[in-house]
Amino acid sequence: MNPAPDYQKRIEEALRDPKNLGELAGADAVGTAGSAACGDMIRLWIKFKEEAGKKVVDRATFQSFGCETAIAVASLATELIRGKTAEEVLALSAEELAPSLGPLPPVKIHCTQLVESALRSALEPQSAPTQASAAPAAAPSLIDKFTQASQPSGKLKVILLEPDCHD
Amino acid sequence: MTHTLDPQMTMTRVLEIFPGAQRALFRRYHIGGCASCSFQPGETLAGLCARNNLDAAEVVQHIQTSHQQDEELQISPGELAALRQAGAVRLVDVRSREEFDATRIEGAVLLSQPVMQEILGRWPREELMVLYDHRGRQSLDAAAYFLGQGFRNVRCLRGGIDAWSREADAKIPRYRLELSA
Repeated sequence: MNPAPDYQKRIEEALRDPKNLGELAGADAVGTAGSAACGDMIRLWIKFKEEAGKKVVDRATFQSFGCETAIAVASLATELIRGKTAEEVLALSAEELAPSLGPLPPVKIHCTQLVESALRSALEPQSAPTQASAAPAAAPSLIDKFTQASQPSGKLKVILLEPDCHD
Repeated sequence: MTHTLDPQMTMTRVLEIFPGAQRALFRRYHIGGCASCSFQPGETLAGLCARNNLDAAEVVQHIQTSHQQDEELQISPGELAALRQAGAVRLVDVRSREEFDATRIEGAVLLSQPVMQEILGRWPREELMVLYDHRGRQSLDAAAYFLGQGFRNVRCLRGGIDAWSREADAKIPRYRLELSA
């Protein structure tokens, strides 16, 4: 099953002009999901305002260490939740956060779930799942492999060789 | 020796007989690249496919060509030198800070968390990016990771900076590493 071309087109469209990138000064809530150490992390900032006697989302922004799908979903979701109460945001399922992307390939669904978890972490911190419980005893990932090689556990010494030395 | 890939094999066994399988899985299916899409060493390939709604027969075929895919991903020092003369190449160094400080290919950036965020968030996905390490072992994993993240023009330097020093630029010193506790 190759990634559907129309799905890729929708992702590229969303990425062409990503909305709400970056930290939001004076945010009322901040939520994080995933782990920066593995390059798969979303952080969301949310600011509320009063509107018709209700506290609703005024603005939401995000930073992502994740894949392009996660960036596209976060961009769309931060637009979608404007004007909603925290309860209304929490009632949205992962699939409802970026409806214009259409159905995602199964292997990309975790990107949507990452954004949903970040929202829960911001608005309902006590219920957000921890990273540890999400990935028990997994095999080393690709990113583990090449980042661990660049961060050795001991003291690394680089010994330059003479030009004619055959190591 | 030609190996037959049985979907009932565990992922540990699959990776033993097809070392490039994890890269192939991530490039096409976004599996095994990071903590969120990881697999368990003891789960079978068939189980992994079922969990991700993938056709096991197609996945088996894809993995069986993983060695060839790895080959196609690599670029020789000579090819890289020619490309650098012809135009801009984004060079990413996936070694340690110590190695980068000791010697590097001019114009390369060291892959760090902030650089990773910059690449994933802002680098154009169609521009040529070449990754290198010391001897060409880790950069294949890194290249597969970025391909799986939607970058379409990623290569890695065959033989790493060591081959670059031998074949393209003798001014770059070769080195060996010592690790102490």
